[in-house]
Amino acid sequence: MPREIAIGGALVPGLLLWFLLAVALLLLFDWVVGRYGLYRYVWHPALLRLAFFVCIFGGLAWLTL
Amino acid sequence: MSATDVQPATPGTREILVATLREETITWLFVVKSLLAFYVTGWLAMRLALPQPGTAMLTTVIVANRQTGMVLAKSFYRAIGTLVGALAGFLIVALFPQQRVLFLCALSLWVGMCAGGAALYRNFKAYAFVLAGYTAAIVALPVINDPLEVFNSAVWRLSEVLLGLAVSAAVSDLVFPSRIRDDLRRLCRAQFANFIDFVQRVMCGKVARADIENAHLRFVRDAVTVEDLRSSVIFEDPEARARSGHMLLFNQRFMATSTTLQTLHHLINRLKRKGHEAAANALIELYRPLAGALDAPIEAGGSARVLLPRLDGARHAIKQRKATLRAQMNSAYDMLDFDTGAALVDRFADELYAYVETASALQAPKLFGTAGERVRFERSNDFLGAGLTMLRTALTMGVLSLFWIISAWPSGASTMLLATVFAGLFAATPNPSQWVHHTSVGFFFGICASFLCQFFVLPLMDGFGLLVAGSAPFLMIGMAMMAWPVTARAGVGYCMGFTLTLAARNEMNYDVVFFWNDTLAQLAGLAAAGLAFALVPPAIGSLWLRRRQLERLRRQVRLAASAPLPGLHARFESVNHDLFGQIVAQTERGSEASRSLVAWTLSVHEVGRTLLELRNDMAGRPLPEEVREAIERCIDAIAQLYEDPDTATYTQARDALAAAMAMIEGDEAMSPLLNHLHVLRLAMLDEQSVLASYMQDQPSSQGVAHAT
Repeated sequence: MPREIAIGGALVPGLLLWFLLAVALLLLFDWVVGRYGLYRYVWHPALLRLAFFVCIFGGLAWLTL
Repeated sequence: MSATDVQPATPGTREILVATLREETITWLFVVKSLLAFYVTGWLAMRLALPQPGTAMLTTVIVANRQTGMVLAKSFYRAIGTLVGALAGFLIVALFPQQRVLFLCALSLWVGMCAGGAALYRNFKAYAFVLAGYTAAIVALPVINDPLEVFNSAVWRLSEVLLGLAVSAAVSDLVFPSRIRDDLRRLCRAQFANFIDFVQRVMCGKVARADIENAHLRFVRDAVTVEDLRSSVIFEDPEARARSGHMLLFNQRFMATSTTLQTLHHLINRLKRKGHEAAANALIELYRPLAGALDAPIEAGGSARVLLPRLDGARHAIKQRKATLRAQMNSAYDMLDFDTGAALVDRFADELYAYVETASALQAPKLFGTAGERVRFERSNDFLGAGLTMLRTALTMGVLSLFWIISAWPSGASTMLLATVFAGLFAATPNPSQWVHHTSVGFFFGICASFLCQFFVLPLMDGFGLLVAGSAPFLMIGMAMMAWPVTARAGVGYCMGFTLTLAARNEMNYDVVFFWNDTLAQLAGLAAAGLAFALVPPAIGSLWLRRRQLERLRRQVRLAASAPLPGLHARFESVNHDLFGQIVAQTERGSEASRSLVAWTLSVHEVGRTLLELRNDMAGRPLPEEVREAIERCIDAIAQLYEDPDTATYTQARDALAAAMAMIEGDEAMSPLLNHLHVLRLAMLDEQSVLASYMQDQPSSQGVAHAT
């Protein structure tokens, strides 16, 4: 993961951007799952959300090596 | 329980201990969760080498709440506010990097505007505005001597706050979450059971008039509380979010049904007072089947569904009774009274059925389809009050800026910051002076604790583990205070003061002189915010604002009379309830002002609702031109009366009404319209209503309306 990403010449911490992206994806995931009532099949929804977030956040950082 | 039979039931020491522990568990669970979020955030922030881990830790203190949904809702709006505020701060610095006067003016204006926005919305949305305001100040002020740093300042601030929010949200969602969903479910169940029970008792004639009005007050409060909880619960639980539309509809139907019940009840009361016993008794006889239908034991789970077939049966029974009861009426006038009441009973039965149907859909374990009808809970906002808030905040900032420029005080930025934060945070509370006072006291003690911790304990400590060990005992005091309702505000102040002045970071610097300089500046900022609230008194709760609210309430009749019809029903009811809730929250119970207010509200409710139904019926049928004109003139005259009540407008409305009624009387096709007009006329002629003081034969100087 690049430590810093240049946006229009200004350096922004890469972690912050991936974090924001991961949060956006999490909200989308949460909305879709909640909309179709799929949390019914999950033992601990909050834990699932956290796990999903960690996977996405870690995966994004890892993929942009 | 009397003293004699307590003896054998004295609980053992063990039970007392268990009960106490259970109560205390909630408090200490909150403390432990808050501490966990606090230190995890601190550790992560230090690990990521953020410049001010203290900010991230402060964030966890600010959003801390016992209930998960509240934390999530607050976090969501805090994140939005911080994003917008960071951008605004960046822009302001970019526009005026060399111009201190323009820079400070722009900043003051921005903060003022955001505070005004916060005063418009009274729930968590207000919080986003507050944050947008003071984040701009937080981003811009520290870099005032070095404008090129502003971008970094904004990015760091954003990172720190988002980190704090993410950890807080995760901790409160994962570690022993306490869900609002359960509270909301309990509240809705209770509301449903209470209301059904109440309707049943009213239908049996077991409730006195004053009790009905009190009950109506309670229903209004319930409706607003349900809406408040609903707007938080959608952040916590996806299931609840899916049901949100049904919840809105449920609340909407609840409001509609209770209004119709009021109207019906008033109608019967009026008929009785005028000596039209025959019609009144026939109406009471007409709705009696409803009482039988509702007389079913309501238990948790699937109870609403039980009522549906019974209500359907009652509707049939009412239809069958109508003809026989109508035949018993002697005169044409009694017939008209009866028809009017029967139309209301039909409407009430239909609305009650719809309400129970929504309740049963909500209680079902799985929801089918969407809510069908899309409704919104609209609120009523006072732009002038918000403008006043904006003015006050901008003025505070302006005066402080001036002081800073003139005195060239090195710690001026700290003063400005704290004043901004507090002026924003408390702008939307009902009694901000008191809030600032409580919080300041807590803040002061927090600073003292921070001094002890920073200069006597922490210098002996090394490493993160010992930092936790050294500061947790001090922090626990504040967290425990936050958990007790009495000391909650002081607790927030304590934790804020402690965290802000402790300013934990990777390389601590222990500088006593700097500490006291900064502390002094912060206290000055707090004092400035407190002074501003005392000098420019908040509009909320004042007589002036109440009078304005009452005027707005009356103008609701104009809304019902002239706004476009689609969706107007929901809009009228929700705005009414919100306004009423605001006014009720701000008046003393049982006072003269409160009584006259309730009287006005009931009148507005009744007349507005009837106007709406009248317009609905008019839209659906072909009418001769002159009849339409006469009815429209009458609607307009009534709206005019409520906007500007006096004897002249009253007479005008009454005459217009009489003219319209005379025009369509005897025409069978027009009977629904005639019924509505008749309800309006009875409401106008009621000598116990608020309008009574405008009747010509009474001097207008006395009566309820004057007390407003």
